[in-house]
Amino acid sequence: MKRLLVGTAAAIALAALGACAGGMDGGESGSVARGTIGFSAMTLKNPFFKIIADSLTAEAERHGFDVVVTDAERDVNRQSQQVDNFLASGVVAIVLNPVDRIAIGPAVRRANEAGVPVFTSDLQAVADGVEIAGHVGTDNYQGGLLAGEAMIEALGEAGGEVLVLHFKQANSCVLRVDGFRHAIGEYNRDRTEGRIEIVAELEGGGLRDEGYRAMADGIQAYPDLAGVFAINDPSALGARTALEQAGRADQVRIVGFDGEIAGREAIRDGKIYADPIQYPDRMGVMTVQNIVRYLDGEDFERVHLIPTELYRQADAEQDPTLD
Amino acid sequence: MPEDVGESAAGRWRRKLLDLLSRNLSVVVLALLCLISSVATWREQNPITSRSGAAVARQVLEACPAPCSVLVVARDTEADRVFARAIEEGLDDSGVRIAGRVFGQPRDVRLELERLAGLDGSLDAIATHRIASDWGPVRSAGARVFSPRSYYWPTFLTPRNLLNVVNQNADIAIIALGMTLVILTAGIDLSVGSLLALAGVIAAVAAQEWFGGAAASPAGLLAAMLLGVAAAALGGLLSGTMVTAFRVPPFVATLGLMMLARGLALILAVGHQRRLVGGGAEGTPEAVRVDATAFAWLGNGAVLGVPNPIVLMLVLFIAAHVLMTRTMFGRYVYAVGGNVEAARLSGVPVTAVLLAVYCLCGAFTGLAGIVDASRFEGGRPNAGELYELQVIAAVVVGGASLAGGRGRIAGTLIGAMIIAVIQNGLNIAGVASYEQKVVFGALILGAVLLDRLQPKIASRRARMTRGSTPTPVQ
Repeated sequence: MKRLLVGTAAAIALAALGACAGGMDGGESGSVARGTIGFSAMTLKNPFFKIIADSLTAEAERHGFDVVVTDAERDVNRQSQQVDNFLASGVVAIVLNPVDRIAIGPAVRRANEAGVPVFTSDLQAVADGVEIAGHVGTDNYQGGLLAGEAMIEALGEAGGEVLVLHFKQANSCVLRVDGFRHAIGEYNRDRTEGRIEIVAELEGGGLRDEGYRAMADGIQAYPDLAGVFAINDPSALGARTALEQAGRADQVRIVGFDGEIAGREAIRDGKIYADPIQYPDRMGVMTVQNIVRYLDGEDFERVHLIPTELYRQADAEQDPTLD
Repeated sequence: MPEDVGESAAGRWRRKLLDLLSRNLSVVVLALLCLISSVATWREQNPITSRSGAAVARQVLEACPAPCSVLVVARDTEADRVFARAIEEGLDDSGVRIAGRVFGQPRDVRLELERLAGLDGSLDAIATHRIASDWGPVRSAGARVFSPRSYYWPTFLTPRNLLNVVNQNADIAIIALGMTLVILTAGIDLSVGSLLALAGVIAAVAAQEWFGGAAASPAGLLAAMLLGVAAAALGGLLSGTMVTAFRVPPFVATLGLMMLARGLALILAVGHQRRLVGGGAEGTPEAVRVDATAFAWLGNGAVLGVPNPIVLMLVLFIAAHVLMTRTMFGRYVYAVGGNVEAARLSGVPVTAVLLAVYCLCGAFTGLAGIVDASRFEGGRPNAGELYELQVIAAVVVGGASLAGGRGRIAGTLIGAMIIAVIQNGLNIAGVASYEQKVVFGALILGAVLLDRLQPKIASRRARMTRGSTPTPVQ
């Protein structure tokens, strides 16, 4: 029996050892010529952030850096711990998609105090007294304006009721909805007929399942809906599923955001009307380029916003990346 | 079975050793894990200390004697300044000229080099640490670069990392202390994650709206925090009431409270945001930000270099340990967990004990909640999600039995540290979170398996001490 006990202990230890050793191989495969960059992604469950991680890793390796990619799983506590771990393991730079633009502040301040530069991509941190070495993101307000234009185009002269599937925790999404509201407001200004009314903002969580549930509720609450603006592709696809199940897919037009593969396929198939598309691959690449410029002592644009472009069915039909 | 009882001296020693090992299995596992983490994180370390600064100064004197002109490069951090000061002190009175000093970023080095190039006189050397020696302007300056020799040492065993490990899990450990009491009574508390969030949000809202916001006095902030703790304790009392007065199974009673408390935390946070933007608009479930900077002290400050959450954890650990080992109340808790009926018949106030246990668990959770709120400078309605599972895992890995009556406070602390060390080891070794989940799942199953085997081991041990012939147990 004692053998069993000791054996179990050894097994647990061995399992951990195996895992550690596996990780170590990964960590040391690339030569540490210019040091390690630590990246904490908002959530790798969303392909958008996976693309940032992959393009960042590829570009960094090209420049002779190692990259450690971690997943904050949308938990600012976890992300703060990841920052502390990066600091303990001596990275040359930290890249974040801040999970919470304010609550990440103390962790960024600790990095500032340790002299390790922090770069953000996609979302910006806005806490007091934090120093961000560089930011690359999407011009979300401009994207929101384009989403509004797409909605106006989709509904035509008839106008109608529109629902917004929001993710308020993310400031980028707040900006998108601000832009969207502005575009719709401009359109409505001199009209008495064919107006577009934004009847509600529901929490879609930026996720497929939450977007689905919110939309299912939205159909019940607003039977006359003509359109939905979902702040990203996962929640737009969730909304589409809910509409199909309710048999309302033909009457309600969806405008999404992102332009990730699943979203673009849905646009090709006419399931989503259009997306303002973002360029997460460029975010990863430009962030690494900023790190290199920082370390080389060169000047660079502290905040770089990449404009979105509207992507409709016609674009999808000519898109070589879709099969 | 292979062990012979009382045969030879060697056999006896072997048996004693194994016995000690199996009694303190969790300590052995923890030590093993620390060892593994150390081996797995054997990395190059770049010292930035006054000693390494002095070493750089010696290098410069040796390789570049007077009249040599040196640029000292460091970052704008405390450690870097100590390091740079040591370099300069080492070069004092040697005739080596300090041409300039930079405390900043690579860009500042470039600007300083441009400034120096404008003056006449050449720059012979740059004295800096390994990190800055890789900076572009330093490498391309055309001067000899001196930096301290790096050495190899486990990143896991650096003071910064060890403090990280404990600090990151101090909140889990604090709640686990309270959870141990509940589990000792054969109960369970699933509401801890939500109560943590509720306590943090209430403390934050109170600090912002009732105690003066940015101008809140320390006493006001303390009152706000106590309010948060009290709310969580009250939540625990509610669970306890359901369990004792209405005989609701703890699992169900605390499951209900878990949802209730989470909902309340979200409502309070959204309501606060709505009042911030002046009514009308819908609020967002963002963190309730506390403007008073003193609020952050509990979570981010330190006493003698030890982060406050760790200090609080140790104080609570000692208090809980004394409570459970030295007081009548502690005996009552074990008695209730061992056999409720027997406890009742021998005069243990079972209802009062259970109420107190759930209330204490709530209070401990509330303390962890204000630590969290302080750490993030605001109450987060989404804080503590899935904490109940991590906490229960810590208690179980620490050797407490879910059937009640068996477990130690010290064991729980070790359990929490085992989880912390695994998590940290996997993190700094760069293992993805998916693989981590597998490791934790296996760990919990392993611990529960041991728990199932424990009674058999105990009975075997009893037989062996009686000296009777051991019979195979299966």
